[in-house]
Amino acid sequence: MFIKFKVNGDDYEIDVPPAIRLIDILRDHLGLTGTKEGCGEGECGTCTVIMDSKSVNSCLVIASQIRGKEILTVEGLAEDGKLDALQESFIRNGAVQCGYCTPGMLMAAKALLMERSDPTEDEIRGAISGNLCRCTGYSKIVQAIKDVA
Amino acid sequence: MFKHIGHTHPVHDATQKVMGEVIYASDMKLHNMLYAKLLLSPIAHGRILSIDSSRAEKLPGVVKVFSHLNSPDKLYSRYRIIPDQVNCREDERIFTDKVRFVGDRVAAVVARSFDVAVKAISLIHVQYEKLPALVTVEQALENKSVKIHASGNLLYEYDLKYGEKEPLSEDHITIETTTQTQKMHHAAMENHAYMANFDSSGKLTIWSSCQGVYGVRTILADLLNLTYNNVRVIKAPIGGSFGGKQEAIFEPLVAFMSKDLRRPVKLALNREEAIVATMTRPATKSTITTAVSKYGKIKSCDVATLFDAGGYATSSIDNGYAMAKKISRLYSIPYYSHKCKIVYTNTPVAGGARGWGGPEIVAPFEIHMDAVAKALEIDPVELRVRNLVHPGDVDKATNFSLGNARIIECLQRGAEAFQWTKRYSRGCVNSSRYKKGVGVACAAHKNGMYGGFPEHSTMTIKMNEDGSFILNGCLHEVGCGTITSIGLIAAEVLDVPLDMITVSEADTENSPYDFGSYGSRVTYICGECARQTAERVKDRILECASTIMQTPREYLSAEDGCVFRIDREQERLTYREVATIAKTVNNRDIVVTHTYHGRSNPGAYGAHFAEVEVDSGTGMVKVTDYLAVHDVGRAINPGMVEGQIHGSVQMGIGYALYEEIKISGSGKVIDNSFKNYHIVNAPDMPNVRVLLIEAGGDDGPFEAKSIGEAATIPSAPAVINALNSALGTSLSDMPITPDKILAALNCN
Repeated sequence: MFIKFKVNGDDYEIDVPPAIRLIDILRDHLGLTGTKEGCGEGECGTCTVIMDSKSVNSCLVIASQIRGKEILTVEGLAEDGKLDALQESFIRNGAVQCGYCTPGMLMAAKALLMERSDPTEDEIRGAISGNLCRCTGYSKIVQAIKDVA
Repeated sequence: MFKHIGHTHPVHDATQKVMGEVIYASDMKLHNMLYAKLLLSPIAHGRILSIDSSRAEKLPGVVKVFSHLNSPDKLYSRYRIIPDQVNCREDERIFTDKVRFVGDRVAAVVARSFDVAVKAISLIHVQYEKLPALVTVEQALENKSVKIHASGNLLYEYDLKYGEKEPLSEDHITIETTTQTQKMHHAAMENHAYMANFDSSGKLTIWSSCQGVYGVRTILADLLNLTYNNVRVIKAPIGGSFGGKQEAIFEPLVAFMSKDLRRPVKLALNREEAIVATMTRPATKSTITTAVSKYGKIKSCDVATLFDAGGYATSSIDNGYAMAKKISRLYSIPYYSHKCKIVYTNTPVAGGARGWGGPEIVAPFEIHMDAVAKALEIDPVELRVRNLVHPGDVDKATNFSLGNARIIECLQRGAEAFQWTKRYSRGCVNSSRYKKGVGVACAAHKNGMYGGFPEHSTMTIKMNEDGSFILNGCLHEVGCGTITSIGLIAAEVLDVPLDMITVSEADTENSPYDFGSYGSRVTYICGECARQTAERVKDRILECASTIMQTPREYLSAEDGCVFRIDREQERLTYREVATIAKTVNNRDIVVTHTYHGRSNPGAYGAHFAEVEVDSGTGMVKVTDYLAVHDVGRAINPGMVEGQIHGSVQMGIGYALYEEIKISGSGKVIDNSFKNYHIVNAPDMPNVRVLLIEAGGDDGPFEAKSIGEAATIPSAPAVINALNSALGTSLSDMPITPDKILAALNCN
């Protein structure tokens, strides 16, 4: 099946089986390994990307669903090597430890901030409720997002 | 006071991590590589009668199917770090011919694509002769005729005693409690992943998400009959470990397959495989009996533990022993005895998990302390103050000094900051549906392995001509900021900006020897090695400068990347000048290799205070307030110390309330997915206040002590004590889930 879609501002047209997962398209076909697989069933959020301005678990999205869509991954946050404000805030606030949940957390946070400015702490925690982290206990991640909101 | 120590820095590769640039093992691609997929046992106990892989082998893209039929039958221990290590029962094969738990390694397919490998697995037909599944320790001990391993189901037992039994006063009381701790999934966000490449020169290279490259190298070389110099283990970036990646679980399998095929082979586990087929925190059951004076002084303590090792021994003998060595670090008890039976069962294999026996015994003990407090009507904080160790006390288990043990200070300052007395005496409002309560727990952990295991680390620091440095140590960054901490220590001594020092990570071909990231040894031992090595490099710099400046060494000082005469400060050289002139004019290289021997093992302490609100209608528990107080000696990187404490509390709340790898009667894992294995997420995580006590006094770098495990140990019992206080219950069957709470409330 031929599908046309955009990732991080670039146009792609590829021929893939219709049920191939978006996470596999990103990681294997496009070489964008920033998006991680932690559970393969939409529970951990390490595969979170933004599709048409909404955060999605890319392990639950299949090829036929991404036709004509604009996808943003962690690789698309920085522009010309200049870090996005969220990325800088994560570093500054100590919100990064092992780094495995980080891409997914950033994308969930980015989706929230694209939708609303000045979210409350509860709204921030809600937006990342589907992103599990085993290292940080979430506090510094929440603070990092608050700093930019 | 310090330029670098005590200031917060991000992890060294934070920028790469936020850019998504870090290549973890599962992200790796090598030219000509192949993909492996596992076939794991669906039954808990049985003999493999036949494996028919003919249909799988015919599938286009399949290169080979491996099983016990075409792999070594040599038994090994995946826990071993050093040659001839004791307590390493060799009871595993790369692929088994007898399955001993649901998840045991039956076969693997190696194919040109991952999808083909997955498809091929479904085409392999295995016939088993089912054997009775012994899924609890009690069943395994009772059924002597059903042997999980030929040696019998009792893997090991011990009976340790320390101290002297004192005569008991007439009005002493005896308290007995029993606590069950559950199998827990480490739940690192990154599932285990490896890339092995056996090349035509006869050398094996393996990238592994592991905590100790030299241990992996030793096991692989010995198992595959390669010399140690021909096995190169490179630590891949780790997406969390918490002990779950400290044993060579799948490295032997991947290495063997690559060696057989002479091509790179990648194995990346999925979540279910990580939950079931790697290792779990061990399930234990401990009965604690104390004799306590009316004043609350514990006179004697007897513990009996049943330890579930799961299907294979791995670290369980040492892990079981470790449980006996924790309480004496925390409380001053005249007589302590600990009997333990370590038992094979047909369940997922137990292994070391953050705290390494600490959570498993301290949770029961802290729950026990609250039972003592209740019986004697003594405040739980006050009871602990009367029994905790003091600075300079000796650990009865090892006869080593506990060093500057500040646990009483942690407890007392924490009680004040938490307003303990006011909140504890508030009691619970019986008529209210929502019941609030507070709880406290203390813990001790260690700093390294001195006293039970060889303890040393070697590092090399070399100076580049431009005045920058490379610190080469066998370091394993697991996400807690090890590389940064080591860099900060060296930067402090050498007095250069942090970015002038590159700290390398573990690679058996290039790194000097170090045992790995275990036993809370890295800051205390590797950190002090870095400090001493840097001091020696500084000496060398001054020596070289002395030659260049034709000035006695005693007249020179180094500061801010420069060497200058103390009496004529304008006479100076930059580090760059010293390094370049030394190398190119005086033919001297500034490079130092140094081995540091640990000679002490003080306690690392923490006191945690939790407030919970229990909905007595549903049994749901919310942690509403939390304070963690830690005796860390010195916080090298305070923000990361806080980060470790926050993460530890997340794990502890899960251990107390939610997380369990439940096993069915037939040995199947019920919680084999994040759908039903719940770890605390952001909305359910309380804000954790942290108070650090930095009183120094021990041998660590700048007097620092460990934190990552010490902070995990008190968290679960603090929460459990809070909920028992809120409800007036004595729940101790962990995790304390809503159904158990409701059952207890209905009983009352």
